[in-house]
Amino acid sequence: MKEINVQGASSLCTLGSDGEYNVQDSVSTSEDRICSSLSVKVTPELEKKYVHHVYDAIAPHFSSTRFAKWPKVASFLNTLPLGSLVLDAGCGNGKYLGLNPDCFFVGCDISATLIKICADRGNEVFVADAVNLPYRTGFSDAAISIAVLHHLSTEKRRKKAIEELVRVVKKGGLVLITVWAVEQEDKSLLTKWTPLNQKYVEEWIGPGSPRIRSPSSMALQSIPETEENRFLGEHGKDSKENLTERVWESMCLTSPSEDNSVISKDEKTIMDQQEYFVPWHLPYHRAEVSGASACALASGLAKKDDKKGAVVYNRYYHVFSEGELERLVSDMDNAVIVDRFFDKSNWCIIVEKTS
Amino acid sequence: MRLLTHNMLSSNIKGVTNGFPLGIEVEKVIEKQVDFNPDFLKNMFLKIEWKALVDASRSLGYAELPEEAPDSSLIHSEDFLRKFHHAILELHLEEGALVCPQTGRKFPVNKGIPNMLLHEDEV
Repeated sequence: MKEINVQGASSLCTLGSDGEYNVQDSVSTSEDRICSSLSVKVTPELEKKYVHHVYDAIAPHFSSTRFAKWPKVASFLNTLPLGSLVLDAGCGNGKYLGLNPDCFFVGCDISATLIKICADRGNEVFVADAVNLPYRTGFSDAAISIAVLHHLSTEKRRKKAIEELVRVVKKGGLVLITVWAVEQEDKSLLTKWTPLNQKYVEEWIGPGSPRIRSPSSMALQSIPETEENRFLGEHGKDSKENLTERVWESMCLTSPSEDNSVISKDEKTIMDQQEYFVPWHLPYHRAEVSGASACALASGLAKKDDKKGAVVYNRYYHVFSEGELERLVSDMDNAVIVDRFFDKSNWCIIVEKTS
Repeated sequence: MRLLTHNMLSSNIKGVTNGFPLGIEVEKVIEKQVDFNPDFLKNMFLKIEWKALVDASRSLGYAELPEEAPDSSLIHSEDFLRKFHHAILELHLEEGALVCPQTGRKFPVNKGIPNMLLHEDEV
């Protein structure tokens, strides 16, 4: 497996002695393996900028859009034995904490802002990293990871997060994992997301990895777990070109066009592409509340869209293909998959810890 | 942070082999009433590391738990269960810190929320 050091947006740019910024190409994939010396537990820049900072900035608005409880998650939680202890790793705004009143929930998330929202609702929560959970091994009866792993930018980190979920439950304990699917039921969504150039992705899965193509038509009705406002993902252009914009465009497979028209690709290209920036539109009146937006705008992490009256953030996603979650679990010797399903454009598995 | 949570947390700093239980520095403790659920309490009783719980509850000012690990017949005693309930669910460390027993590194607790995030050089 080849590994390439990730280059976050800032480290792509160096200030030369002539006072000019230079955008450097990251190492090409045709070169020899460059082993990342970073521990799998160290957060890559890509995630710091396009997951952590974004959620911290949008937390209250994000939380206000996250209230619908998915029936499949609810039924998993409601069928747990009476008096179960359930851990929610990556609990976000705490939507599922306390869903089953006969169970006790402990939640953790890497966003202190979101955790504060959970705590204000009376939940037992703390700030922690899903890739390195501070729980004792085998304590919990069950664990859930709802729409979390798709924010991890390398296969190793995604695997580690699954291993952590299995580690913290008791033998016989169950883990429910849901992630966004490549195979979105609303195909128009994919055209609103910005695909990332793969050379900016930290780790290759490898050209030989099996990837099962899902049927092209999914006739299910869905209430997808996406942001409530869906606009074209392209950001507005400033009249003067700035460094961030150049970096942005070099990271993306396609450049935003002047008139925000949708760039079409054939379906195969869409299906192979799994790395995306998904926009979040934070309305101006919400953005004023959080100083984080001023910072984000100044550093180029977010852009203003006056037409929509919103600060536009991008969240990093690695969307999962059919069978990918199973593949991550397949070489674990202490876990078996006991259920798998596709629900509302998410791939889901239930894993049981066997030893 | 409740003591039930404290009983399941461990220091995950790189190189630490004995990260449990975390020490507790107390600045502010509050009590919040929680509904009594014997089924849940019996389930938790089987998981709890008793000495860690007794020590932690004493540091939060509650000394009613028996020092010795009670045998499981005690879970049929409502009096015991109510004390156990109070200790694991109704006492909250609001302000203070959790302390790695091996390195002394402090994990702050503010407004009842522990921050267990490690720095890059700790992973």
